[in-house]
Amino acid sequence: MNEPADQRPSRSINYGASPLLASKTPVWRSKFIVAALALAFAGLAGRAIYVQVFGNEFFQRQGEVRFARTLELPANRGRILDRNGLLLASSVVAQSIWAIPEDVDKNHPKLRELAKLLDMPLADLKKRLANEDKTFVWIQRQVDEPVAKQIAALDIKGIYQRREYKRQYPEGEAAAHVVGFTNVEDRGQEGVELAFNQQLAGKNGSRRVIKDRMGRVVEDVRDVIPPVDGPDLQLSIDSKVQFFAYEKLREAVQQHKARAGSAVVLDVQTGEVLALANYPSYNPNKRIHLSGEQLRNRALTDSFEPGSTMKPFIAALALEKGMVKPGTPIHTAPGRITIGGSTISDSHPNDVLTVAEVIQKSSNVGTVKLAMQMSPREMWETYAQAGFGQKPALPFPGAVSGRLRPYKTWRPIEQATMSYGYGLSASLFQMAQAYTVFARDGELVPVTLRKTDTPVSGVRVFSPQHAVAVRKMLHLATGPGGTAPRAQTMGYSVGGKTGTARKQEGKGYASNRYRSWFVGLAPVEQPRIVVAVMVDEPANGVFYGGLVAAPVFSQTVQQTLRILGVQPDMSVKPLIVTEAVEESF
Amino acid sequence: MRLNLMLLAAVLASAFYLVHVQYESRRLYTAIDRAQAQSLRLAADHEQLQVHKREGAASARVQKLALSQLQMHPVNPAITQYVVLPKADAQPQEGAR
Repeated sequence: MNEPADQRPSRSINYGASPLLASKTPVWRSKFIVAALALAFAGLAGRAIYVQVFGNEFFQRQGEVRFARTLELPANRGRILDRNGLLLASSVVAQSIWAIPEDVDKNHPKLRELAKLLDMPLADLKKRLANEDKTFVWIQRQVDEPVAKQIAALDIKGIYQRREYKRQYPEGEAAAHVVGFTNVEDRGQEGVELAFNQQLAGKNGSRRVIKDRMGRVVEDVRDVIPPVDGPDLQLSIDSKVQFFAYEKLREAVQQHKARAGSAVVLDVQTGEVLALANYPSYNPNKRIHLSGEQLRNRALTDSFEPGSTMKPFIAALALEKGMVKPGTPIHTAPGRITIGGSTISDSHPNDVLTVAEVIQKSSNVGTVKLAMQMSPREMWETYAQAGFGQKPALPFPGAVSGRLRPYKTWRPIEQATMSYGYGLSASLFQMAQAYTVFARDGELVPVTLRKTDTPVSGVRVFSPQHAVAVRKMLHLATGPGGTAPRAQTMGYSVGGKTGTARKQEGKGYASNRYRSWFVGLAPVEQPRIVVAVMVDEPANGVFYGGLVAAPVFSQTVQQTLRILGVQPDMSVKPLIVTEAVEESF
Repeated sequence: MRLNLMLLAAVLASAFYLVHVQYESRRLYTAIDRAQAQSLRLAADHEQLQVHKREGAASARVQKLALSQLQMHPVNPAITQYVVLPKADAQPQEGAR
């Protein structure tokens, strides 16, 4: 069945024979196409020029908005260290739990577990998640790391964590009033944390980065501005001395059923504050249910009438003016004296006492007799030079200046009462600083909360020989026949003055509410420290400064001098006298 | 013609290499970023451990344990021996028994 090829029917079109090809294409068509393409390219070039040159900033910005992010690099708050470099406060990482309420399934089975981990009732948690209008709700700030890890493991949709810093205070309540604390925003609220907030805070840094769609940082847009961490702050506080002072104070306050107490320890060579303790205190790591009583840094913020602890200043001034010598006799019989219609009395009348014995036995009458030979101005100047009526030069929040009225307004009876510590007020810290006058041979030492190793020069108030003479009187006060034999301590000679001041009540004085003081120094020959102790309202039957505050002084002095490496200047088994003479108040 | 082909191949190779380098640079950048985050985390852990250590050695805790578990009592001068160093730098040294 083979047919010749030319006889087969044709299956393809013979294009070569198309009549369309025969006709000539008009030239304008090709020109039109070229022009159209050129125009299109010109359009693209124009657009490119617009995007790259004219609208460049806008497009760059829009691009960045979509991919670039500014990340804040938080600066770490500086640590607070004691004089030996031990931590008093440090910031550690803590996670804060937050949520997008809309995304959280309110009936999620693990919500109960979450509430339990956060130590909050389930109802509270659900209440926080109830407001679906909000896109951000804190559930709990600064959760401990192990708890945060358990929460992350729950993997509840809509619950997130944010890294923050939490302040930790390893010394706990012993150093709470000195160190203070910060709030959740890491800003100082109390104590050194507040006083040195600016310095500790540091400066946050930032970086501008591009993130990919997975949220990973892939590129820095500009140079990183590194965070500047807050520098560490080294205090003059010795955490061991601080602990001992706090511990002994706490024991005394509890033993005497007192309302409160404070203790201050100063290094008289450098003016450093070695300890500043108050009781009641609080744990700065757990600050729920805090009361104002616990928060008060009484040693600095409360001022009281100091009572008999002022008497040594009168004795020193009398010596300085050449009015008397330590052995000059003063008639104090019959134990009372009347000035301007008011009678001042000794609670234990004496007959003739030397000036030294007036301080030793704390005679009001003897002190008043000395004071009334002075002009009010001289007394005022001495008190002012010793720091009374002025704020201590400490950058501490709430430090008070106490009250010392201008001498021109003093009536004779007021001058008399001021000589034994009534009618003026001072904080315990001021008392401690004022006693550096006796410890430093007549110089008032400027105090500091920062560590320093160099001895400081003080401001002269009394001449050295008179300061030394008063120091011996203070030593007598702690010896046999003195008001404070309980201030004696094993191994070290001590000197100091008791104070038992009635508390003010309305316009007068309460008959059964007292404040017990003891301010002293040690060792007597070459004093290294001044320790001041105050116990507020002892209510266990004993209220004399020599019985309540002096034992705290004794124990604090012994431990402090041992820690400072001061060799005992007395035989290690001294005779402790147990029969005390009760002082006047 | 051959030259053009060679140039085309070179351009293509360069372009691929550029893409590779860009990828590598981003990968390394992410690695650095991760390492930095890790270093921050370790520093934070270190600080946390320092605080724990200090809490463990806080005077209050040490005293409590010494009194209750070891039946120790506070040092006082009666049981303290002071020794003097024999050499030139003979500063009184405290040594508690």
